[in-house]
Amino acid sequence: MADKLSAPFVLERRFAAPRELVYAALTEAEHLAHWMTPPGMEMTHCSVDARAGGVFHYAMKPRGVADAPSMWGKWTFRELRVPERIVVVVQFSDAEGGVTRHPMAAQWPLYTLSTTTLTEVAGDTLMRLEWHALDASEAEEAIFNASHASMAQGWGGSMELLDRYLAQLLGGQG
Amino acid sequence: MDALSTTFAALADPTRRAILARLAQGEASVGDLASPFDMSRPAISKHLRVLARAGLISQGRDRQFRPCQIEPAPLKQAADWALQYRALWEQRLDRLDVYLQQLQREEPAAPTAKKVSRSIAKQPKKDRRHG
Repeated sequence: MADKLSAPFVLERRFAAPRELVYAALTEAEHLAHWMTPPGMEMTHCSVDARAGGVFHYAMKPRGVADAPSMWGKWTFRELRVPERIVVVVQFSDAEGGVTRHPMAAQWPLYTLSTTTLTEVAGDTLMRLEWHALDASEAEEAIFNASHASMAQGWGGSMELLDRYLAQLLGGQG
Repeated sequence: MDALSTTFAALADPTRRAILARLAQGEASVGDLASPFDMSRPAISKHLRVLARAGLISQGRDRQFRPCQIEPAPLKQAADWALQYRALWEQRLDRLDVYLQQLQREEPAAPTAKKVSRSIAKQPKKDRRHG
């Protein structure tokens, strides 16, 4: 069955590191725990089964707040080609590994598909991250597209006026 | 539905986004808003009701003209949230960059680096490019 994909959200970054190391950092539990957590958060669970059909299941909570609830996420690996390509289905989750909605935005797509490509460039590694909303409704795609560089850009078409208006609202940030 | 989802559900429709883009330039009557679209006034009014319910526009009290105005607060909230999402990933990649440099400096002392060097060692020699 063909995937129903939204427009992509793309991030690119060049790392001064060998490709194998970058690949390991993206697929091994002890590395993921180091860079996935935002400042002030800590990873409270991290398990990785890096093979097609395997799962990276993690939980994060605010650091030093004993009774804070954990936020769970789950990546299901769809394709792994060492050391150049990782395709995962990204979901919010719970402790049992179920599929849940975004804790802050119920209309966020239930599934997003993320494809990471690693290319060697003069001893560095170029990482290209490409995201799509997967099998999303129209409203889910709208919220996903809005998370691109700028909301209006994410929607494409003749939204420049709205984009400029939003830029004013946001006071030039971003 | 949470406020953010209501906003995004209203923004999901291209006609409604075009209406907002028009209102970003200043207030307009229902007739003004209907004219660029091949749509009846009742159809436009329906879109306006969705936008009003999401708090994205307000309509004046003048029964005949009911001029529409954009309401910036929920739009700003949605745009802030969208920027935050991208920023989260940009920051994550910044941390990955720092972490990768740290791993290469610490090699082979740190236990994590040891494991990495093992997995690198499995690769053919021609792929072993450092720095």
